[in-house]
Amino acid sequence: MSPDALELELEWLHAAAFGWALACCAGDRAAAEDALQASYLKVLDESARFDGRSSFRTWLFGVVRRTAAEQRRRAALRRLLPLAVLEAAPDGRPDPAAALARAEATRRLEAALASLSRRQREVLHLVFYQDLSIAEAAAVVGVSVGTARTHYERGKTALRRLLEEEPR
Amino acid sequence: MSERDDHDLRDRFQRLRHEDVAGVTSFHATLAAAAARRAASPRAPALRVAAVAAFIAVLAVAVALAIRGRRGIPIDLAAARWEAPSDFLLQVPGAELLRTVPELGRVTPPFHYVDTDWRTP
Repeated sequence: MSPDALELELEWLHAAAFGWALACCAGDRAAAEDALQASYLKVLDESARFDGRSSFRTWLFGVVRRTAAEQRRRAALRRLLPLAVLEAAPDGRPDPAAALARAEATRRLEAALASLSRRQREVLHLVFYQDLSIAEAAAVVGVSVGTARTHYERGKTALRRLLEEEPR
Repeated sequence: MSERDDHDLRDRFQRLRHEDVAGVTSFHATLAAAAARRAASPRAPALRVAAVAAFIAVLAVAVALAIRGRRGIPIDLAAARWEAPSDFLLQVPGAELLRTVPELGRVTPPFHYVDTDWRTP
């Protein structure tokens, strides 16, 4: 894929990719923007190369997920080693101003999602937020379709229960 | 779980999506920030090389220590001398004869001539 075509694809998927980055960074907007920037650099520098084995969106979401995980590991390392060579990183908490501006229902959903396992949260986000199939979600998360389906079913049941516990 | 529940969940996620999209930084601004970040951190490859070099050095030291440990401490068996606690039992009269090699044709003082024809009176 040519650099221009890559850029066009990225632009087309930008909003969805940001939503996914936000989900991978537990709602931390600054961390999500960092992850997205780093992912775009990987794609445009070709350190992450699209081989056409899946759809471009599935592949890009995989890159964003790995990049966000790398950032989380780096942030954890930074907390252990306060080295001057490593620049300050977002602390992984959602931006308070953004959280305040959110609608009550959305906040309830985010709180319920936060208590699910990472895999369940990812699969539910990919299916309900990004409108991917379970097979596509499995490709993004890097698990088998059967495993993704299990995460989907269990996550959905748990999420439903958590939302019902909350006052509506 | 019913299909209605699924629709409800989908609606909730879509509302979340609309709120997320409302505050998203534009694609070109994100790209520009990414380019600025790359320009501002040319030390990343150097850090990576340093980390790999440090890892190789630690690995080499670990391997060297493991090999040394497997060989064990060298002992000069010729110089080693060990005495059993019961060695004093061997210190009997004439014990030196047991530690020397007898020479043929030489009569040593402890041997006496015995007259086999001698009779008691």
